[in-house]
Amino acid sequence: MSAAKRVQQWATFARTWHIFDCKWQDPYLSANVIKKYLMGMHKPIYHPMNDCGDVVVCINSRDIALRGDDWRQRAYFHHTGYPGGASWTLAWEVHNKDPTMIIKKAVYRSMKGNLQRRHTMQRMLIYPGEEVPEDIMQNVTNQIRQLRPVPTRLDHIPEDEVKKYPKVMEYPEDYVLK
Amino acid sequence: MAFIRRYLPLVTGGFKNVYIGGQRKEIHRYVAPTLMVLKRREDKQGGKVIKPRNTFLEWNLEAEMYAFGKRLNENFDPDLLLQAFTDRSYVIKEEMKQKEMEFDIQMKDNRNLAEEGRKFMKQYIQLYLEAALPKFPIEGINGICDHLMSENVLANVSLHLGTKDIILADEYPVDNTTLANAFVAIVGALLHSSGEEQTAHFVRDFVITNLQGQDVNEFWHIEEPWIMLTDLIAKTGSNLEPRLIGEVGKNTLLACYRVGLYLDKKMLSSGFGETIATAKEMAAREALKKIFGTEENQYPINFKLNGIPKSSSKSRYQVSAS
Amino acid sequence: MVFLTIANLIRCRGPDEFWRKRKIFRLAAHYIGRRRNCYSVAVRNVHHALVYATKARRLKKQDMKDLWDTRISAACEQHNITAFSMREGLERSNILLDRKSLSDLAAWEPKTFQCLAAVASRKLHLDGFIDGTDQKAPTGKNLNLDNVILDDWLKEKK
Repeated sequence: MSAAKRVQQWATFARTWHIFDCKWQDPYLSANVIKKYLMGMHKPIYHPMNDCGDVVVCINSRDIALRGDDWRQRAYFHHTGYPGGASWTLAWEVHNKDPTMIIKKAVYRSMKGNLQRRHTMQRMLIYPGEEVPEDIMQNVTNQIRQLRPVPTRLDHIPEDEVKKYPKVMEYPEDYVLK
Repeated sequence: MAFIRRYLPLVTGGFKNVYIGGQRKEIHRYVAPTLMVLKRREDKQGGKVIKPRNTFLEWNLEAEMYAFGKRLNENFDPDLLLQAFTDRSYVIKEEMKQKEMEFDIQMKDNRNLAEEGRKFMKQYIQLYLEAALPKFPIEGINGICDHLMSENVLANVSLHLGTKDIILADEYPVDNTTLANAFVAIVGALLHSSGEEQTAHFVRDFVITNLQGQDVNEFWHIEEPWIMLTDLIAKTGSNLEPRLIGEVGKNTLLACYRVGLYLDKKMLSSGFGETIATAKEMAAREALKKIFGTEENQYPINFKLNGIPKSSSKSRYQVSAS
Repeated sequence: MVFLTIANLIRCRGPDEFWRKRKIFRLAAHYIGRRRNCYSVAVRNVHHALVYATKARRLKKQDMKDLWDTRISAACEQHNITAFSMREGLERSNILLDRKSLSDLAAWEPKTFQCLAAVASRKLHLDGFIDGTDQKAPTGKNLNLDNVILDDWLKEKK
């Protein structure tokens, strides 16, 4: 193979590192998006035998938002393999023990149950907060857009902007704000 | 026994070779054991003995050579063609035999014709390539010419033209050198028989067409593309700037960098690579390809130029001269 | 009538089984162990293999169609159009490319595919077709489509 062809192939199958901020996102909907990048289904050269998947780094997995009453009601099943080793753990308990488990299980479940699943899952790196190791952060080149827009919290808006914003009326002095 | 039986060649000997409504063709019971015995004898001999075609019964050398000429739609002088097919080794063998027999028939060999043919071919191919690839430097054209005149390519062409059975040589099967020599001698014979233009078209149709589908840049290895490119650009006096356009997976084994070359702030070419140095080198190679007019998306080489192209008066870029 | 050959036929043996079994062994040459060497084991495996081959001819067509669909939708996503819109737009523009051609173009001729996506979205825009899932503008905005889109379509009202 000539040098030009070899280099062209190298570039075509180069693995991109994406970053996804899980803050206030639904894990099961974002799992559909993440699994596409992990399996390489966002590339026109996709083939299951091709090893064309990319790496996805998930940050802020501690701030994930499950729907409705799921934190209290959703239970995750685990069996150790030994008799009497079945256990059902609630979502909030799992999250307290390991904040990365919920998004990991969500992505695992969204993929088809074939032999490539475990290999593809190894391409996903999850971090509970904003701290990512330096060498991994240097590899990241693309950010995946979040599904739900994240509004800024009212108490996180800087003070001078609050003061500048035009007011309709001033509250009276003895008014109590709840 | 069954193991050997299974690998016998498929033979359609049998009582009926015709399908008569509903009945299958049946093979006699002696066929399989016979073939087994033949195979055992063949293995003892050490493989099939392939006899040359000219030892068979109905071999007419004159007819074969006439047919060879007609197949190619060319007019050959019969004596010259016979001389072209005679190899030096055959002549030596004949002379040894004749010494014992004590009569003297002079057989000419194909060395002179081969030399003339080779000279003509080299000249013509260079002129043709210069006309077909106007911007390609002389070193590149020499590289392609060497490839086309190499033993393997010529032997392949000659084999598929059917010279394998007509060549008069001392050992069979004929080896590549003999095949290549015979082909070049045929070109020489054609030169004497039909003239330059016919020979030129013959060489174009059978030798130069081996470039079809091949990347022309592969035949010339450039050691220092960056230095060559900077020398070329320095003559025109523009500003050449390499810049890192993209990178992926910096700390991994599968890192990929993309370097772009900018000529006066406009993009000239871009190259990929595992390291920044490789990427820069590939970008320089792509830029050189663009300048020489041999990129992948250019028109393929024109195989229909008629006659012998004249050498252009325009000065061609020569690497060693700079 | 006197039938003389029947008496001869009583003593004739059947055809050599070697050739019948060889037909099976040639198909089983790449198997492992007894499946390659013993007839009764080989014949079962060869028959299964032939049945699977027959059934798979239909499955292959389905698999290829799914693969082409995945590739086309991946390429469409890169140009901010859905696969459905793309197909609809191309059909209305009388560009009848099948899934195979579209997926090959998407992989090997990306610029051509971008132009096709632009033509499809422009045609749908002219028809007033609104696809709720296309939130972003199509990528080929700066392409000059006047050479491609006929004046008749511009005047057509649907």
